[in-house]
Amino acid sequence: MVIKVENLTKRYGDLIALDNFNLEVNHGEIFGLLGPNGSGKTTAINCILSLLKYDKGTVKIYNKPMAPDAYDIKEKIGLVMQNVAVFEELTVYENVDYFCGLYIKNKKLRLKLVEEAIDFVGISYYKDFYPKMLSGGLLRRLNIACGIAHQPKLIIFDEPTVAVDPQSRINILEGIQKLNKAGATIIYTSHYMEEVEQICTRIGIMDKGRIIAIGTKEELKDMISSGEKITVELFSMDNKILEDIKGLPHIVSAEYRDNSLIVRSSKGKNNLVSVLDYLKSNDIDFGRIYSEPPTLNDVFLEITGKELRD
Amino acid sequence: MLVYKAFFKIIKKNMAQIAIYFVIFLFLAVFLASIYTDPANMDFMESKIDMVFISHDKDSKLVDGLKEFIGERANFIPIANDEQKLRDALFFREVEYIVRVPKGFTQAFMEGEEIRLEKTVVPGSASSVYMDSLINKYLNTARLYVDNIEGLSQQQLADYISEDLSHQAEVLMLNPDPDKRLNEKRTYYFNYLAYSLFAILVLGISAALKVFNQPDLANRNLCSPLRLRDMDFQLILGNICFAILTCLIMILPSFVMYRGHMFTLKGLLFILNTFVFSLAVLGISFLTGNIVKSRNAISAVANVLSLGTCFISGVFVPRDFLGDTLLKFASLTPTYWYVKSNHIIGSMERLKEEDVRAILTSFIVMLVFAVTAFAVSMVLKKQKYMRQVRGF
Repeated sequence: MVIKVENLTKRYGDLIALDNFNLEVNHGEIFGLLGPNGSGKTTAINCILSLLKYDKGTVKIYNKPMAPDAYDIKEKIGLVMQNVAVFEELTVYENVDYFCGLYIKNKKLRLKLVEEAIDFVGISYYKDFYPKMLSGGLLRRLNIACGIAHQPKLIIFDEPTVAVDPQSRINILEGIQKLNKAGATIIYTSHYMEEVEQICTRIGIMDKGRIIAIGTKEELKDMISSGEKITVELFSMDNKILEDIKGLPHIVSAEYRDNSLIVRSSKGKNNLVSVLDYLKSNDIDFGRIYSEPPTLNDVFLEITGKELRD
Repeated sequence: MLVYKAFFKIIKKNMAQIAIYFVIFLFLAVFLASIYTDPANMDFMESKIDMVFISHDKDSKLVDGLKEFIGERANFIPIANDEQKLRDALFFREVEYIVRVPKGFTQAFMEGEEIRLEKTVVPGSASSVYMDSLINKYLNTARLYVDNIEGLSQQQLADYISEDLSHQAEVLMLNPDPDKRLNEKRTYYFNYLAYSLFAILVLGISAALKVFNQPDLANRNLCSPLRLRDMDFQLILGNICFAILTCLIMILPSFVMYRGHMFTLKGLLFILNTFVFSLAVLGISFLTGNIVKSRNAISAVANVLSLGTCFISGVFVPRDFLGDTLLKFASLTPTYWYVKSNHIIGSMERLKEEDVRAILTSFIVMLVFAVTAFAVSMVLKKQKYMRQVRGF
């Protein structure tokens, strides 16, 4: 077990930021902490790292209690913060060297690790640039290089792709997967469900300071009753057809808007086939057809009654 | 020593702003100190006052003699004896003094009666005091003769007074300290140093500490295995080294300007005083860096602290011109004690016990400032840290 958090509670006055928060992260995982803004992800990370005091609960990292002076544990951790935390007055190279130097005393080894980290995030060309001269995406990559240069066993990424261009985002996500393959355990917090779905091996969904669902993405989707979403391009529609479709087996809802019939089904097989059979047998002309499996947003929607991005 | 090195890299990035204060100092120290003349020691130069002399006592040799005596030291402005015109002349400062000799003045004076001249002056005029003194001088001399020689004619009286008052005494100013002027210049060089040293240290140290205190950067440092104690040690070491370096750079021109004089006891005391002062300023800069929230505010704080304390402590304006209340308030700043000991060092002819005691008192007060400011900043820092991460 890399991290074990039990009943973590953190209050800001009357506001409960973390409400009996529990978490277990295993070796080699990319654990995704998914939740809307304000759900308590960053507070949880700060409490886990002893950057923030909490009211109740225990945090163990590598089976040892985490505390502000647990320097042996801190040696194994890398942190990539939500905000870019680098020195404006130091060059790219000097920044990575500084943060790597906080962990690695051997100068020769440090030089090697700094070069590797800069190469890894693809900012070698900008080594002598000052952060002010970098774009938002490059700054994020520098932020990552500063957090991973000492090759930590556990790396925490706190929303590393906020306000990042698509190319840098792909670069960052691929980088995280590479780090994981190289042996690092990753905790990845985000409110972008697509990113979490793409890279995380296990996901915890957070809302109002607690984990409301946890598992692989497949396990999470299995937890909910809704299945695929079928969209059929139709140029005309009457109420009878809509009612007939609603009456088909496993169909939860059907609506017609913007020249499209949108059908949501519960779990079950051949839902798409039964809808198409109905349309064909009634000589209804249709255009393109899409079928989408349920997303994590559907999971969040069903559990909390609100959209993930609300 | 990563934190120490990073500290100096941050200082280096702020060097342009710091250099401006150094240039200002060089201007003040080299140019102003070289043309400086102590207002308290300025040469005396007699000037003539514009006045009106009106006599209602005709055919009086005594009054004529008085007018002649005053006339050598005043300009008589011809204005008609009209009340309104005379008032206007005073109001518009055409004249500063109007004296009227009443009718029968001479006779009354010769008979030993109490009689006064009438005068109208510009309110608060310093020149009027000078004119009062001249008239008193003439009449007191006249009174002396009238009281002691019987049957003295007005012409004889006027002649005696004229002869007596024509005598002048030669005054030779002896300067016991041949290096007085040089010492004054050195004093002002080191006084001006207070302004730039204060500004540079507050600016440099606060800017560097502000960077390290940024919440995200501070958290990143706190996440690392670097002990908080080690980090504080490296930061404080950086501060001390920066203060010493700044001090040395600012003292250096004094060796070029005053050469061998800087290797005397006075020179060494000036340098020691500057080092002690820099420790006090270092403490205040450390405190400022931990208190000031915005980076943009640092420059303003540096200016207010350096200029403000220098103005009230007598760096730019001589202390004689500052009020007691202001000086009492100034004594709550280290600049006051620094300037005070500079003046003692500059003006002492040899090292006397009372001078040593006064200089040591200033040193101790400055060191108390340094220790207090450091202690308060460390307590504030610790409290902030405890509030954030400790307490579980």
